[in-house]
Amino acid sequence: MLITLIRLQLLKRIRSSSFARSMAFGIVAIVIGSFLLAYLFLIGLVLNTLVKEVMGVSDAVLVINSSLLYFYLLELIYRYFIQQMPVISLGNFLHLPLSKSRIIHFLLGSSFVSPLNCIALLVFGPFAVLEILPLYGAVPAATWLLAVVLTSWSIHWFILWFKQRFEDSQTGLLFVSAVLFLSIVSSYFSFFDLGAFFEPVFTFALESPVPVFLLLTVGILSYFLCFAFYRQNAYLDELSTGDHLQFADRDLGFLSRFGLAGEVANLEWKLIMRHKKSRTYLTLCLVFLLYGLIFYGNPSYQVESGFSKVYIFVGTFITGIFMIQYGQLFLSWNSPAFDFYVHQRDGLRALVHGKYLLFASISLLCFILSVPYVYFGWHVLLIHLATFLFNLGVTMHLVIYLALWKPKPMDLNKGSMFNFEGVGISQVLVILPLLVAPYAVFLPFSYWFNDYVGLAALGTAGTFGLLVFRRISSLMTDRVIQMKYEIASAFRQEL
Amino acid sequence: MIQIDSLKKVYGNTTVLDIPNLRIPKGQCFGLVGNNGAGKTTLFRIILDLVRATEGAVLVDGENVSQGEQWKTKIGAYLDENMLLSYLSPEEYFATLKKIYGLSEAELQLHLDKFTDLFNGEILGSNKYIRDLSKGNIKKVGIAAALLGQPEAVLLDEPFENLDPSSQIRLKRLMLKEKTDHLVTFVISSHDLNHVTELCERIVLLEKGAVIKDLHDRNRMKEELAAYFNVG
Repeated sequence: MLITLIRLQLLKRIRSSSFARSMAFGIVAIVIGSFLLAYLFLIGLVLNTLVKEVMGVSDAVLVINSSLLYFYLLELIYRYFIQQMPVISLGNFLHLPLSKSRIIHFLLGSSFVSPLNCIALLVFGPFAVLEILPLYGAVPAATWLLAVVLTSWSIHWFILWFKQRFEDSQTGLLFVSAVLFLSIVSSYFSFFDLGAFFEPVFTFALESPVPVFLLLTVGILSYFLCFAFYRQNAYLDELSTGDHLQFADRDLGFLSRFGLAGEVANLEWKLIMRHKKSRTYLTLCLVFLLYGLIFYGNPSYQVESGFSKVYIFVGTFITGIFMIQYGQLFLSWNSPAFDFYVHQRDGLRALVHGKYLLFASISLLCFILSVPYVYFGWHVLLIHLATFLFNLGVTMHLVIYLALWKPKPMDLNKGSMFNFEGVGISQVLVILPLLVAPYAVFLPFSYWFNDYVGLAALGTAGTFGLLVFRRISSLMTDRVIQMKYEIASAFRQEL
Repeated sequence: MIQIDSLKKVYGNTTVLDIPNLRIPKGQCFGLVGNNGAGKTTLFRIILDLVRATEGAVLVDGENVSQGEQWKTKIGAYLDENMLLSYLSPEEYFATLKKIYGLSEAELQLHLDKFTDLFNGEILGSNKYIRDLSKGNIKKVGIAAALLGQPEAVLLDEPFENLDPSSQIRLKRLMLKEKTDHLVTFVISSHDLNHVTELCERIVLLEKGAVIKDLHDRNRMKEELAAYFNVG
């Protein structure tokens, strides 16, 4: 029976209409995934040296034990985003004479086969062998590793339960993120170290197998918590993910000043908020806001005169990541409703202008939110201002122009991770000119004069782009209108 | 109202539509029938300028649809879910259309009141996105949207499909009322011969993209169609 179910799952994958395409991307994803896992393994290999050399402490085990909590909090967050709920195939089996428990066991079991469940083993396995084994012996090393991995696996079931129980609400996630952030901040200022609070659990695991049994029990309990919940709710309507009106049921007031284009921008805002894939892009915006922290304070990017050239790249991303990411799939976002816009009078013009409006607003918002980076020096603010102007005046047009090259349809209701629908070679290549463009303007000036003249050049180019905005945007619109039949027919094709 | 001149649509080597001449006068209820693949939906899409004609043109009140946009205020249409914004709730969708068509709140309300029976209390206030509604209810939203803004002509592709029998009757009543009150031209396609013959004073039968029958005589319609479709 089990084998039949597994075989059916495989067939479903292979026979899916987008198999050829998803296989190509699947291979890429597997390669990238293996690289990532290999990196994690490498980190695991050097973890003990890293702790000792960089942090300058002799007892690496203690440090790791008291940092494990942060690892798990982080794990909660990335699992929340990546981990798929295995309910999609429920409908195929529910009507068959199979016991519900068996189906649920199967679905839960198949969810367990995931690279996410190797991470703890890859990172801490080498550590257990290289650091704990020589110091404490084989049995403590084994019990410690088991305790660490079991905790991670318990989180797997916990998240499955949590996501379904609270219907994907973001409140819990915000809570975990807040705990993570606050505890890191408070331990950084040695105010209160939450990690140290959990440290004894894993230290105890070095001395006795009791924590392993405890954690095993927790793991089993969390599995059955998950199982019981899914078993009880194994009805199509209850486990379905049709969300009710909860996101963005209000318009963004300021947009309505821009007439029809503003109206479309509002629609686009709702589209973004109500689809998982686009929401992720928006979240990415927030993540990229923190991107600067890696670069600006970093001593290795300090140079004697001016500033590091990399900062242009950072600035471009901080203020423009949304238009670059979201804009790549410019019209694909509207592929399910493209006919709507074609059919409305002036609909396509409003659609393109609405998108311009939204990109500009979000970019402005990112710029404003990035102002606190001035802490690292006034030059950072200048960089952001110049790249912001350049994004508005040049990058935005460039993204849209490139994205109009063979847009592809996509299903917005599918998840976002490793979902390459709507992405073709052209969408991948878009990134290159976008990265090259700011440097093409900046580098000559910074080379012949200095970095600040380069910034001025960027800003000027952007301002010029803004001045001729009307002309260029209407060129883009005309292009869309000209291509509307091809785009519409491409979008209507079955995926 | 709608004028089709030597219209041709060719995909590769196959001609999917070839209509030398077809005129739909104002106020007519025009039925389009034909088996799957006859070209009904393609014809609708060309009329709405969603698909480019290979040859020929469609004129709405003398305006070529592929060149102007004035006609868009005169024609309402619902072909399929691509014409809806399915991530909105029905209320939000109508509110959006209200702004696009420049209607007042009262005008929209007046319009929606006409659909109270058809909606049967399941559409407005259901707190669901359009994509989560049943197929029949999605169709009702689309039809109500197509009739918004007092269009002179309304194109509906398979309006009765997926509707329950009571809704089908209500929709028919609604269409007849629009026709007598506002002289609305209807162009509908359907596989349900009873409905089209009851509603339409003219029925055109398509086969492989060509008009093979143009029936005007209400008394003989049913027999002629039955004779064609009955493959025995």
